[in-house]
Amino acid sequence: MVKIRLKGLKETEEFGKKLGSILKGGDVLSLSGDLGAGKTTLTKSIGIGLGVEDYITSPTFTLINEYQGRVPLYHFDVYRLEGKEDLLDLGYEDYFYSNGVTIVEWGDRIEDILPEDRVNIEIEKTDQEDERIITISGQGKRYNEIVKELNIN
Amino acid sequence: MKVLGIDTSTMIATCALIEDGRVLGEFSLNQEMSHSENLVPMIKELLDSLNLKVADIDLYGVAIGPGSFTGLRIGIATAKAFAHVYDKPIVGISTLEGLAFNLTFSGIIVPMIDARRNRVYTGIYRWEKGRLINILAPTIMEIEELLELLNNYDHIMVNGNGTYIHRDRILEVLKDKVEFAPIGLNECRAISIAELSLLKKDEKRDYNYYTLVPEYLRESQAQRELKGKESGSR
Repeated sequence: MVKIRLKGLKETEEFGKKLGSILKGGDVLSLSGDLGAGKTTLTKSIGIGLGVEDYITSPTFTLINEYQGRVPLYHFDVYRLEGKEDLLDLGYEDYFYSNGVTIVEWGDRIEDILPEDRVNIEIEKTDQEDERIITISGQGKRYNEIVKELNIN
Repeated sequence: MKVLGIDTSTMIATCALIEDGRVLGEFSLNQEMSHSENLVPMIKELLDSLNLKVADIDLYGVAIGPGSFTGLRIGIATAKAFAHVYDKPIVGISTLEGLAFNLTFSGIIVPMIDARRNRVYTGIYRWEKGRLINILAPTIMEIEELLELLNNYDHIMVNGNGTYIHRDRILEVLKDKVEFAPIGLNECRAISIAELSLLKKDEKRDYNYYTLVPEYLRESQAQRELKGKESGSR
């Protein structure tokens, strides 16, 4: 598990871009954090790092948004879903196990069906405005590679 | 009688036209996340090349799963729409039976479709007197569980996209008891779906373009869990 303190929007953006530049097709990111913590904002920066030129918007109402970058980006928001059955109906496996990068907002709500080889990112607000604490965890091979490449310390 | 077969259960989108015991044409593409864009143009290309029209098709055969939820819906919705417009019969065929039907083999035939997380959709089939018999009904299984079961047989042929994902493990457990299908017969083939639908059109009369639905297989698992939750909360 790795914790990073990001002091302000600029650092958050840079972190997102760097993470996006490291990601490869097949990677799955699960984002968690309270409403307004900045899950969609972080996804926007990750998208830039992935080479997505389209404007990334929240998928809260559409459930899935798809973008084309270096590799496809599939952006999920599972906040509105009632449970696993809804995801089955969406055909989620075609995305989670695709050649694209999948980012799932509120991924902690569907942990048992996310692939084991994934990266969990928890975003917490602090008492400082625009400051965030990011906790990165995971257990798969890609988690180790990504943390190594992020070169945090 | 011209039969159009369609299978979009896996990453392969495939469509084929057969008539009176011969193949008129088949078109297959193996590409991720593209069935919704490719399938209808593929059917058009196939028909155009043969100077035929959708109205010329007498029977529709479509693979109804198990497989990719989205993929199945694309194939089935397309077949149902065409059948509806021209009021033609439609027959749903198990994707696993379609795979098994690709092969002729004296032992058991075991198609495997990747169901992720080390699981496969599978079944066991055998040819008896010119008919393909289903021995183990389509199900979802851990690959290890399936291999343990298959170890009881000594003459096995496997196909489907699960076999290249788990190839090493299959060989390790089943050794010389198992044979792999040739590449051309390893994946879903619309020709098999078309022929099976022709063979089964009389026994499957209860389906039409209104009632045909996918057989996800997984849904029953979800429903079981749902039932478990409901009974637990009472």
